Amino acid sequence: MDIGYLWDITAYIALGAGVTLKVFFITLALSVPLGVLCALGKLSRFKILHGVLGVYTWLFRGTPLLLQLFFTYYGLGIISGGRIAFGPEMAAYITFVVNYAAYFTEIFRGGIQSIGRGQYEAAKALGMNQWLTMKRIVLPQAIKIILPPMGNESINLIKDTALCSVITVTEILRNANRVMSRDFNVGALVIAAAIYLLLTFIVIQVFRRLEKRYAYYTIR
Amino acid sequence: MEIVKATNLHKYFGKLHVLKGVDFHADKGEIISVIGPSGSGKSTLLRLLNHLETADRGSIRIDGQYIAKENAEGRSEYISGKETLKICRRLGMVFQSFNLFPHMSVTENLMEAPVMVSGVSKAVAAEKAESLLEKVGLTDKRDAYPGQLSGGQQQRVAIARALAMDPEIMLFDEPTSALDPELIGEVLNVIKNLAAEKITMIIVTHEMNFAREISDRVLFMDGGVIVAGGTPDDILVNPDHQRIRDFLRKIIREA
Ligand SMILES: Nc1ncnc2c1ncn2[C@@H]1O[C@H](COP(=O)(O)OP(=O)(O)OP(=O)(O)O)[C@@H](O)[C@H]1O
Ligand SMILES: [Mg+2]
Repeated sequence: MDIGYLWDITAYIALGAGVTLKVFFITLALSVPLGVLCALGKLSRFKILHGVLGVYTWLFRGTPLLLQLFFTYYGLGIISGGRIAFGPEMAAYITFVVNYAAYFTEIFRGGIQSIGRGQYEAAKALGMNQWLTMKRIVLPQAIKIILPPMGNESINLIKDTALCSVITVTEILRNANRVMSRDFNVGALVIAAAIYLLLTFIVIQVFRRLEKRYAYYTIR
Repeated sequence: MEIVKATNLHKYFGKLHVLKGVDFHADKGEIISVIGPSGSGKSTLLRLLNHLETADRGSIRIDGQYIAKENAEGRSEYISGKETLKICRRLGMVFQSFNLFPHMSVTENLMEAPVMVSGVSKAVAAEKAESLLEKVGLTDKRDAYPGQLSGGQQQRVAIARALAMDPEIMLFDEPTSALDPELIGEVLNVIKNLAAEKITMIIVTHEMNFAREISDRVLFMDGGVIVAGGTPDDILVNPDHQRIRDFLRKIIREA
């Protein structure tokens, strides 16, 4: 095979990685804080909020992400008679943020709940209010607990970005697919796979570092 | 001078009536031990005093200030949460299970509340932490994390952490019950040394010799009420009540 050709298709497919990374970072940057808020909401005393958030996480964790993408990109436009219409990338961001926040909500809720009652009581006995207790005592410990599942979700997120190709977002897989159907060349898929592997490898390393940073203490 | 005064305290957990009209007071500087069988409501009483639980009926005063006051229907009405938190800062608490903050070093555990709650400067808080560690004999562990300490060491840190807030009243809820027998002494010694400092102490304990040695007054609780109270000798040596005698015999048999 011709090196020049290989270089050309690799560059073309890698161009899609830019979009993949954009979806990845925007999703993380927005769904993490949204997930924290929803987790706190689920742990709050407001019964109605529990119900609303329960339906939310159930819907978004209980249906395929691909279906949700279709719904945001095609469905909303049809329902609203064209009044709500998003471009492919915008539809991807919205769907991914809302979907991943649902997962993060459950992860964070579990993490926060795994901090024992004794920690809250010790903090209160020292005069710390609820906000200080959350900020200084509970959340820092919850982070250690949620890092491994967060790492898993982040790896999933890298791979899930490939779903965006079906709503015409020009990310890695879509570009690889185009090359493949144009040139009848499976090599494009191999190149795409290599790029995904590289990205997930980086994510794994980042989380390994983070987990190491929190390894200095144990929660019993 | 009564620094703690609680009258007619009632507490329910659901339908379970746990405290059934407890009257309790502690004078400034007094050392009171609370003994009694499991489930008699000893912990609940302590936890009501520093607002870890809320009373259903009765009133609680700390140094004359009400945190809960009985209203016309006899229900406890609490002052605002913020005010309660402020008043309850005058009480320190030591738990059976230590409850140190595992993500903070020993020194950080001691500095956390003074810096974050009282607004003390870090330098001052660090100095205070150091002198408290000296007091509990753990200066060499200042940079250790709780997970690296023995139970006895953790409990001594927990005592120092409570003291860092300069409490006027210290509550101890079975501070040695989670410890291996050989570690109990070091913790009791720290508490004994505190007795010399005029801090009011309310201690729930199963260590009868310790209670006898340290207390000004011993209270015996059973079935959600304080059955009897008096000098250590009255309660622990020559108790009038059959229930106390049965309880003491059982404790001795278990030991
Ligand atoms: N949060 C709670 N919810 C429900 N029941 C509770 C709660 N806390 C305590 N109880 C119940 O209240 C009763 C009194 O409990 P408490 O902890 O005050 O007893 P205690 O005298 O401290 O006993 P022990 O010596 O075992 O510590 C027990 O029957 C206990 O099961
Ligand atoms: Mg108890």
